[in-house]
Amino acid sequence: MSFGERDAFTSLLITLIVAAMFYFRITGQSAAGLYDGPDGLMIWARSVLWLIAISIGIAIGVTILFTILYTILTGEMKPSDLRDERDRMIEVRGMRIESLLVHFGLAAGIIYLAWGGASAVRALNVILIGLMLSGIVKEIFKIICYRRGF
Amino acid sequence: MARHQIGNHIRRLRFEAQEMTQKDLAEKVGVTRQTIVAIEAAKYSPTLELAFQIARVFGRPLEEVFFYGEGEAGKGP
Repeated sequence: MSFGERDAFTSLLITLIVAAMFYFRITGQSAAGLYDGPDGLMIWARSVLWLIAISIGIAIGVTILFTILYTILTGEMKPSDLRDERDRMIEVRGMRIESLLVHFGLAAGIIYLAWGGASAVRALNVILIGLMLSGIVKEIFKIICYRRGF
Repeated sequence: MARHQIGNHIRRLRFEAQEMTQKDLAEKVGVTRQTIVAIEAAKYSPTLELAFQIARVFGRPLEEVFFYGEGEAGKGP
């Protein structure tokens, strides 16, 4: 497995973990009615900042664990970290899809507000979900490209 | 299954070159072994620059390493 493919797997895992954490935190706070008050937006923004900080730690942890696991399973003591033209081409294709989905997420948030959606927090959540989904789709697309060719 | 129209004779040329491994070829042209695997299987079409580099390793002109046309993936026409 090349460095680019390993990176796609770890990024997918990290994004899935962060998305799950985001889901549970946001739904928990929403159920508790924390977004209903005048400080709703501030509470939401702090939650997202907390999530960003946590995701950095998760990224480091998952990358280290994945590298250790990969080394044990393959016996490659020093896995290559070379990125070549194929990696770059797959990355560009993945980014193109990601960018498209980010725009859809943004549009969905705006459409929600335009159609009378009263909650700014909900609109921001739609945009953030779009961001996360686009990241997940991007990594899955990259893995498919690595596995099946393009 | 014909996936790509760009095929190649890399596998045969490697064996003719004292059974050069995919890893050896990858190191000579500065790409990963997986990229050589993908090129051989016609799952990835290399850039013109990489194609020239591969041809140079075998000391052959480009058209003796790669071909364009109908054929099984990775095999000759």
